[in-house]
Amino acid sequence: MMSNLTSTERARAMLITVAGVLIGLTMAAVGRNDPMGAHGWIVLLFCGVLFFLVAQTLYDAEPVEDRSTSYYDDPTKVGILLALFWAVVAMGMGVWVASQLAWPDLRFDAAWSSFGRIRPVHTSGVIFGFGGNALIATSYHIMQRTSRARMPDQVSPWFVLLGFNLFCVVAASGYLMGITQSKEYAEPEWYADLWLVIVWVVYFILYIRTLARRNEPHIYVANWYYLSFILVVAILHIVNNLAVPASFSGAKSYSAFAGVQDAMVQWWYGHNAVAFFLTTGFLGMLYYFLPKRAGRPIYSYRLSILSFWGIVFFYIWVGSHHLHYTALPQWVQTLGVTFSVMLLVPSWASAGNALMTLNGAWHKVRDDATLRFMMVAAVFYGLSTFEGSFMAIRPVNALSHYTDWTVGHVHSGAMGWVAMITFGSIYALTPMLWRRETMYSWKAVEWHFWLALSGTVIYIFAMWNSGITQGLMWRTYTESGTLRFSFVDTLIAMHPYYIARAFGGLLFFAGACICFWNVVMTIRRVPNHAPEADYPTIPEAMEPAVPAAE
Amino acid sequence: MDMTHEWYVALSKSFGLFWLLGLSVAITAYAFWPSLGGRFDKAANSILDDEDGPAQPTAGKLEGKVCR
Amino acid sequence: MLKTLLKPFARVFEFQAKTHYRMERHSMALTAGIILAAGVGGFVEIAPLFTIDETVEDVADMRVYTPLEQAGRDIYIREGCYACHSQMIRTLRDEVERYGPYSLAVESKYDHPMLWGSKRTGPDLARVGDKYSDDWQVRHLINPRDLVPQSVMPQYAFLQETPLRTDDLPGRLKALSMVGVPYTDDMIANAADDALGQARPDSDRASGVLDRYGEATAVRTFDGQSDRLTEMDALVAYLQILGNLTDVAQNTQLMTEE
Repeated sequence: MMSNLTSTERARAMLITVAGVLIGLTMAAVGRNDPMGAHGWIVLLFCGVLFFLVAQTLYDAEPVEDRSTSYYDDPTKVGILLALFWAVVAMGMGVWVASQLAWPDLRFDAAWSSFGRIRPVHTSGVIFGFGGNALIATSYHIMQRTSRARMPDQVSPWFVLLGFNLFCVVAASGYLMGITQSKEYAEPEWYADLWLVIVWVVYFILYIRTLARRNEPHIYVANWYYLSFILVVAILHIVNNLAVPASFSGAKSYSAFAGVQDAMVQWWYGHNAVAFFLTTGFLGMLYYFLPKRAGRPIYSYRLSILSFWGIVFFYIWVGSHHLHYTALPQWVQTLGVTFSVMLLVPSWASAGNALMTLNGAWHKVRDDATLRFMMVAAVFYGLSTFEGSFMAIRPVNALSHYTDWTVGHVHSGAMGWVAMITFGSIYALTPMLWRRETMYSWKAVEWHFWLALSGTVIYIFAMWNSGITQGLMWRTYTESGTLRFSFVDTLIAMHPYYIARAFGGLLFFAGACICFWNVVMTIRRVPNHAPEADYPTIPEAMEPAVPAAE
Repeated sequence: MDMTHEWYVALSKSFGLFWLLGLSVAITAYAFWPSLGGRFDKAANSILDDEDGPAQPTAGKLEGKVCR
Repeated sequence: MLKTLLKPFARVFEFQAKTHYRMERHSMALTAGIILAAGVGGFVEIAPLFTIDETVEDVADMRVYTPLEQAGRDIYIREGCYACHSQMIRTLRDEVERYGPYSLAVESKYDHPMLWGSKRTGPDLARVGDKYSDDWQVRHLINPRDLVPQSVMPQYAFLQETPLRTDDLPGRLKALSMVGVPYTDDMIANAADDALGQARPDSDRASGVLDRYGEATAVRTFDGQSDRLTEMDALVAYLQILGNLTDVAQNTQLMTEE
């Protein structure tokens, strides 16, 4: 990997890792009486390993590659592998947290293993570790292809990718030590937040510089989605994480906002993290890989522009639907509902656009599990955006809020939409990136598809049942006008659903493990091949998905 | 101007609406402007064949070159 | 018909669409467009929320957390309790009957950050203060299933063994005062002593806590161990103050019988 760096680039990379080592050392020294010290050692180790990796190749020969004729794909490859690594870790954690709710003693009696500490490892691991790495990797791929231009330099993509992973490692290890701000989906403490800002600024500059070098007159719409992901996440991240550290030698900080104001800021962030991290970036993936895999241009390019601006514009207002019937002023709640319902229009336009693209290529969907991943993702995107708008309506929210219905909704988006489109894209991308004939095992892709789909369906149904049951039990009255069920009664009713949910998650997790294995085997075992689009070459099948002559 | 809570609420309730309407009209007009159709089609098709490396401004598109 | 009507505007639209197209050709202009679409709309709607504290009720008897309670709150955050327990009673009849008067904005005005929560795997805790005895809370935290066999809550027995760190409390109170909690210099300077004093009713330090935080402050041996100050002391002190920082909700809302 490092052999494609020139000696100047190697030297620059070494300087950056040295700076990282120094930062780690400072943190370890200053925070020696605090969990922050442990983070210092982690940073030190991370940057130290990278330093030696680069140092080993410092005196190697200069690369011979002609940069003007090729894209720079090394960081994309590493990013895909990192995304899959995080998927396995974080989804495994998910199965564990889910099991703890069914069998609460499943935690070895340690402080670090309680539900409250490992839950954010699962959520951040999936959202940032798996989703974030997949977004960064695919964005590197797409920005170069659609611009018909190579990235401007070879150090900054590595800095962004590895710097982001350092953030993820610091975040996940911090939760286990009890370092958290308690802000949902923004738990990492102040120094991790500051570091992410630096990484993100470099990411933005890299993206803009690549677009500026492009040889196409028009910026392909997928890039708009990625760009909005980078930009708006930056704004959200900075505002939501404004805080004053209790001391610079410790991890603890206090949010700049309090009470109702903090609630609004947190859910303004929280829901837009869904919008601009888990939606627009992955729509960028969809708008690139789905047409490409189907071999047809997107059904309506104009509609994709329209829904882009609709999503960017509407989403930013809807966070307050997380705070119905609370101490938040009523008019803000109403505003949130209105925009949540309007949001359905651009969301369904996107989902419909994706499905219409497949119209006429259904035989490919039938034969090709990779394309089927993308199709199911578009369907789940449509379903979960509908469910989201529905749940934002006040009377529905009165029932669904605080229950597992919300958890089910999030997972229908995260498993059904985000993970499915990512897996589909990874299967489409892997053979192209590594110049392989095909994936190592198309049967494994089929297995993964059915495991993922059944796992998602079981999970969602379990959560619908438990959520609606619990919501109804909470508000059931006896004939004499008193509450019928104690809180504990509802817990007993939840138990079978919690077991079903853990099982659904286990199936999904098994699929992710198969995917990781399949990708690694593709890299190691499948012979090289000049880059064609990758369609499954199925020796057993009578008729290949795409005629060989094409 | 007094930046009170009421003032901000009034601003959101009035300006916010017009901003929404204006932006919607502008974007719809852009997306469906007839003369831009060709460019959009070209862009939509541009991704289907893009594995042959960065475009060469002088020599035009290279064919069958090595990518590594 | 429509065409004739729209004719005068056609040139405006054409100009706009072409400008728009040119804009998208330049990545920085696209960037500006995204910020404008998301930012202006967002700002216009969110700006009122930054002055929202003007709309929060003004209550004279609202007090700040004592250092021990704040330390307990930090432990509550550290352990991720907010992932399963909300602290926000909604304005719905069954919630008011189950948990008590609905939550008011003023009650969390010193909460940096707020812990309203989003999921009730366990019950709401906004008014759990004084609902159970200290002894119940301690035993429940050591092993919830000793008291509630069906509970799925994790055990927190280690809190009873872990000494509470007090040397960083002045720094924590100082940071909180910087973000708007009205801690006095006196409170900040004595934070470590006050934390100890609140769990030692017989010591000299106890009177300092009452002086600084009011006569109604609970000064007790929360964890049942009078020889040392543990994290259990802090967490139980915090749980027992939840809903008791001010009486305004009880006084203004019609109480319904349980």
